[in-house]
Amino acid sequence: MNAPVVCQLTLRVSSASSPHGPGSVSACCLGPDLVAFLTSCARPNELLKSVFRVTVAQVPSPEGDRLPDVSGRYLLLEDELGFIPHFPFERDVKYRATFDPRPLGAPLTAESLNLEFFIPSEQKAPALTEVTHIFPSCDLLPENLLRLYVCFSNSMQRGRALKEISLLDSHGQPVADALYRPPVELWDRSMRHLTVLLDPGRLKRWVGPNVELGLPLKVGQKYTLDIGSGMIDLHGRPLRERFRKDFVVGDPVRERIPVEHWKILAPVTASRQALVLMFASPLDWALLQQTITIESADGLVIDGQVVVDQHERRWSFTPTSPWVTGVYQIRVGSGLEDVCGNNITEAFDRPLRKGPNLVTRINGSSLIFQLI
Amino acid sequence: MSEKPITSGHSRRDILRFAAASAVGLALPGGLSAVSNAPVAHGGPSGPLRSAGVLTFGPNNVLLVGDITGATIHAFALRDKDLTSQTDLISGNFHNFEGRDHVVGLDQKLAALFGTTVDKIVISDLAVHQPTEQIFLSVERGRGTDAIPAIVKVNHGQLEILELDSIPHSQVSLPNEPDSKAMLEFDPQQMYAITDLKYYNGEVFVTGITNQRFASTVYRIPYPFNANMATCTVEIWHPVHGEFETRAPIIRQVIRELNGEPYLFGVYGCTPLVRFPLSVLKDGAHVRGDLIGELGYGANPLDMLTFTSPADSKDYLLVTIDTRSASQIAVSELASAPPQPTGGGIDFGPGGLGRAQRALPIKAEHIAILNSKWAVLIWRHPKTTYRLDLSTLALPYFFERKDGMSEMNWPNGPDPFHYREHRNELSNQ
Repeated sequence: MNAPVVCQLTLRVSSASSPHGPGSVSACCLGPDLVAFLTSCARPNELLKSVFRVTVAQVPSPEGDRLPDVSGRYLLLEDELGFIPHFPFERDVKYRATFDPRPLGAPLTAESLNLEFFIPSEQKAPALTEVTHIFPSCDLLPENLLRLYVCFSNSMQRGRALKEISLLDSHGQPVADALYRPPVELWDRSMRHLTVLLDPGRLKRWVGPNVELGLPLKVGQKYTLDIGSGMIDLHGRPLRERFRKDFVVGDPVRERIPVEHWKILAPVTASRQALVLMFASPLDWALLQQTITIESADGLVIDGQVVVDQHERRWSFTPTSPWVTGVYQIRVGSGLEDVCGNNITEAFDRPLRKGPNLVTRINGSSLIFQLI
Repeated sequence: MSEKPITSGHSRRDILRFAAASAVGLALPGGLSAVSNAPVAHGGPSGPLRSAGVLTFGPNNVLLVGDITGATIHAFALRDKDLTSQTDLISGNFHNFEGRDHVVGLDQKLAALFGTTVDKIVISDLAVHQPTEQIFLSVERGRGTDAIPAIVKVNHGQLEILELDSIPHSQVSLPNEPDSKAMLEFDPQQMYAITDLKYYNGEVFVTGITNQRFASTVYRIPYPFNANMATCTVEIWHPVHGEFETRAPIIRQVIRELNGEPYLFGVYGCTPLVRFPLSVLKDGAHVRGDLIGELGYGANPLDMLTFTSPADSKDYLLVTIDTRSASQIAVSELASAPPQPTGGGIDFGPGGLGRAQRALPIKAEHIAILNSKWAVLIWRHPKTTYRLDLSTLALPYFFERKDGMSEMNWPNGPDPFHYREHRNELSNQ
């Protein structure tokens, strides 16, 4: 051997498209002797078929017959011998490449090389995930705030909320025992919306945690809900960046939702104008989407689109068909709550009942408007 | 001309020639939409193919390929180096009805060769180059829109991919192909755009459907390809359905000269056998074929061919069928069989030559005649359902003895057919 061996003979896979087709496997650093020998070969392809072989690794052999090798051709490039399959390597199929130069003759001391490989399928993953909204969207939240929703731009995986989501005080320090740690993270079916609760035990006056620790939030203080970028999305990726929602705490709300005080902005007959309801204080963003329905006088539910905005203090309903003359009922389901968990019949946090605990549940409430 | 049903057995057929063919959308503006003798360089072994469908051999070692995705018929003029004689191969023990497996696990071996898994292998057709007895397969890797087409030949049991981009090639486009999104009730319409392909006396006959009102079409394309393609639409009376049918395509065709006149015999799904004299298949014609056999309802033909029986030296038509035994009908009856009456009610048959058909024990996905004594087939035996094999089967009974269980298989069993005298008597013919 005259020339020094600059590197060791190796097998290398390239999944990139080349002018010769997508994907190839190469024996690199052949060394000058091997290159010279292959160059001098009259029909190197025939010889190489037994030297440099690529097979599908997973296919079982029928009846002990030898399965054919993957069909392809060879390309000698300087110090490298490439195998280019006639049909591109298929993603996720496992292949085995073996390079055994020993049959090529005397001057070669190289050993046989083996490489199992596959080219993973390209996942067209969407853009990196981020937090799109946190509800309530208002910056001034009541002292007895119960619930927050964190909305993500893609579906997420469970298991990171405890570590990544925290409530910080004005000094950036975590507020101890403020957030409820549910045994199962509270995701919706799409895995894009996470419910975060403040500890209900601290919100309800006169129950143990409240007696011991008091309310988690203090009026007049600034807080930050902090969503760490370590939340993991369905594709296994962290968030594009961390997300913070700053808010100031105001007075508590400890009364039922006063449905009878809602302001109704009625649409014009024969139009598709929105019917608008205005609330004095923010209601629960998620429940507003599904608990209010509009019925015609004959009890049919009107089809249309709901929009909630103005910091969850406005609910607008645009019907699919124009409004017609008549009396309509705005039916409010008993499940509707405000951001503190107060519903349309009672407050979330109220004094304990005296006497027999007979609770009368109603099926909701309704308002009426008429179009002439 | 009247479209009134013919009720007698008279051999008259309706040829509805439209003076203004455009009135029913039959006209082909400017004749062929494209004729090309230049290779289209797609690169790689797929060459100009966009899909690999039906195969047949034309004159002078020309391999014809139906390409549905490309709406094209390709002609590859195979060179001597593309063909290797296989006549030295042992086909089996002819006397004892014992064929041989030329390729065991054909689908698994194709998968290995194509660098994929067996579920991605589709074998569309099989053709034999008669002078060399070499078998050619039309194969696709993949089942979706990204399927890669190829032609594979079998060389002494080994599979070899033809490098189509280096083989002299010409092609012709078929007009009015069904839209790629158009559906039938269960399948895409395009699936039936090119159902079969045969060469006869300087012409390529193509059957299939178009996007026209009378969808069922026969093309006659001169070979070597030129612009003089003739297109005619065909209809039949289908007794099993009790109606005239203008859209369901001929699924398989055979062209035979009988009593000095050439005919195209077509077999349809569910399963009419229909006769068309070539003389009536003229450009722009709408032709009603003579229904000469109703082979039985609920069946789809897989292959149709003729062979000469080594037992009685007579010629027979063979139709293999997906749901039941293959049908054998004497060729001598094809020309003389009277057309079945049209316009009656629904008749599940069998009718006409269907009543004279003989059932043959063939379960083949594809079958072709290899030589005077052997057929070759791709099949999946119940004992080896996990694989497809490429095997030979002895004419004219198409019976494979080694796969059966019978009294004669016992070491001391009876031997009425003298199997033991001929044991180990292998032959290539």
